[in-house]
Amino acid sequence: MKNSFKELIKGLIHENPTFVLMLGLCPTLAVSISLINGLGMGVAATFVIIFSNILIAALKDVIPDKVRIPCYIVVIATFVTITELVMKAYFPPLNRALGIYVPLIVVNCIVLGRAEAFASKNKILNSLMDGIGMGIGFTMALLLISGIRELLGSGKLFGYNVFSNFEPMLIIAMPSGALLVIGLLLGFFNFLKGRKA
Amino acid sequence: MSKLIVPSSPHLHSGESVSRIMWTVILCLIPAGAAGVIIFGLSALWTIILAVVSAVLCEWLIQALTKRKISVLDGSAILTGLLLAYNLPAQVPFWIPIIGAIFSISIAKMAFGGLGQNIFNPALAGRVFLMASWPKYLTIFTKPFNYDAVTSATPLALLKEGKLVQHIPNWDLFLGIRGGCIGEVCIIALLAGALFLLIRGYISWHIPVSFIATAGLLTWAFGGKTFFSGDWIFHILSGGLILGAFFMATDYVTSPLTRKGHLVFGIGCGALTAVIRLWGGYPEGVSYAILIMNAATPLVDRYTKNRVYGTKIK
Amino acid sequence: MNASMFLTIFISAVFINNVILSRFLGLCSFIAISKETRPALAMSLAVMFVTTMSSIITWLIYRFLLIPFNMAYLRTISFILVIATFVQLVEMIIRKFAPALYRFFGIYLPLITVNCAVLGVAVLNSDMFFTADGKSMSGGFLYAAFQGICVGLGYTLAMLLMSAIRERLELCNVPKALKDFPLGFIIASIMSMAFMGFNGFRI
Repeated sequence: MKNSFKELIKGLIHENPTFVLMLGLCPTLAVSISLINGLGMGVAATFVIIFSNILIAALKDVIPDKVRIPCYIVVIATFVTITELVMKAYFPPLNRALGIYVPLIVVNCIVLGRAEAFASKNKILNSLMDGIGMGIGFTMALLLISGIRELLGSGKLFGYNVFSNFEPMLIIAMPSGALLVIGLLLGFFNFLKGRKA
Repeated sequence: MSKLIVPSSPHLHSGESVSRIMWTVILCLIPAGAAGVIIFGLSALWTIILAVVSAVLCEWLIQALTKRKISVLDGSAILTGLLLAYNLPAQVPFWIPIIGAIFSISIAKMAFGGLGQNIFNPALAGRVFLMASWPKYLTIFTKPFNYDAVTSATPLALLKEGKLVQHIPNWDLFLGIRGGCIGEVCIIALLAGALFLLIRGYISWHIPVSFIATAGLLTWAFGGKTFFSGDWIFHILSGGLILGAFFMATDYVTSPLTRKGHLVFGIGCGALTAVIRLWGGYPEGVSYAILIMNAATPLVDRYTKNRVYGTKIK
Repeated sequence: MNASMFLTIFISAVFINNVILSRFLGLCSFIAISKETRPALAMSLAVMFVTTMSSIITWLIYRFLLIPFNMAYLRTISFILVIATFVQLVEMIIRKFAPALYRFFGIYLPLITVNCAVLGVAVLNSDMFFTADGKSMSGGFLYAAFQGICVGLGYTLAMLLMSAIRERLELCNVPKALKDFPLGFIIASIMSMAFMGFNGFRI
């Protein structure tokens, strides 16, 4: 049990998928304009990671080694399609905001990366924990980036005005702003790491 | 792969140094700034001072914090601040030049390792950053000689909106009596400074001439209602073309190394400027054009490198 | 179908909505493989080929298989399968018939399967060139194929610029915390700002 707890928390900081493993950057940058979008993407991706991890861990002895990648992709694509349909039915505005990045969870390297690197070699419980940890780590990173971008780019948090007299820095809400924010954040984390070492 | 080709000895020191070049360029830019202050009033002077001071302070602070050699007096930070201010309208809120200068120095220059290593022209990166962040302040211009009145119209903006009813006399454009950014309006002052740099050999003619000629040619060919009826004189004299071509595109660090590279760079800048002016959403494209070509500079260098005698082209 | 539409697609896909700098598709490969020009070029050419071909194939599948049989909800899963199969096939063919070419970009081909740019352009095509009730636009097929080429071109442009810049930066005294990835993002950010000059492009 202690072991599986370790699998859970490693995804949060030490192996944070976004800032340390540098996986799944495309959706991170594209949807992180507001906290709501970031949260939506984080939850959707977490759902896919958890369930594809479980299913792949359960099927790992059945899947022939040579065609494992296509098999993983089918498993992942199934859960992505479920997410897509649920989102379309129950959260249409969020679905519109996330756009093509919902189907693109299929090629989000975190999901396939965890399937290949972890779930295909570990027991179901550990894979579940790994999936939860990675999902939460991804969501946390998304919330950090989208929080910064929403605050600076539109002066709001979760859609509510924070400042009374603030000239929003429009560029932060644009694609180049996303690249800038993540570049500086990565630099900042490198700097912290360098200090510790 | 060595970028610096050192021929065989003996070597003679020419007495030139980076800081001397920087200070000369600053000197050559002063007439244009003075003209801007005369045309747009004291607010222009404040904008210039704020940009220069914050650029210098920012560089000093970063060098002190990272324990590098303090080199703020080599003039490069002052030049960056000056050029940034020249690319801003006179009556911007006081924090605009400050934030712009901080971005220019910290992100576009120091993050790359400081002087001589930046890929993009820091002043232009700062301007484009400000333009994208607070467009409404960067498109309000002071009316010439009418210091309190503002207008949102440069001649190019009027042209873009199709509101350029009466023709602005070329002579007015030449002297700088029009709405625009502080340092770009007075063509004659810019040309005087540029001439000095050319004569002293601090810049070569290749980039400015190919830049201006390409932009002129394309606006002449496609700028009018029929082919070859565009008002190319107007296009050359308005906007930041002269300032950009002589003082920003010629930056040693961010432009190619060889003569051939210079021509490619200049033609690219000119073509991009004309394309953005004629068909783009913005009225002016000089800063974007130069930045895009800055990004292409390492690639241009790669393909226009002088061949070492006796070796094959790779 | 008209010529100006093609020009709009070109400008939009290469400059305004550049796959990497504005849509962030294929960002992982962009950051990972842009250290040197030669591999970057190989990767770009491979991506361009695959985006073009997969645009064509997925358009055909969407138009003649998924829509007539009312299975548009299987879009994601069928597109990714088709792309994966196609890439595998190309890899096998190249390895068999053009070993030199295989050595040139062979190792990059499998990576392309999970390159979001490829699936991204397929999904974009099916969003852009089909009406909401599933009718195909006139000329949609050509638009889709052309968009595939242009997305590949945009990818190539960003890759080439970036790799040359990073080659030059190898010689520079970059602050330690910013080395490699962080500075890569900052460069991409300024590049993306520069490309904003094309915003609102109209012929």
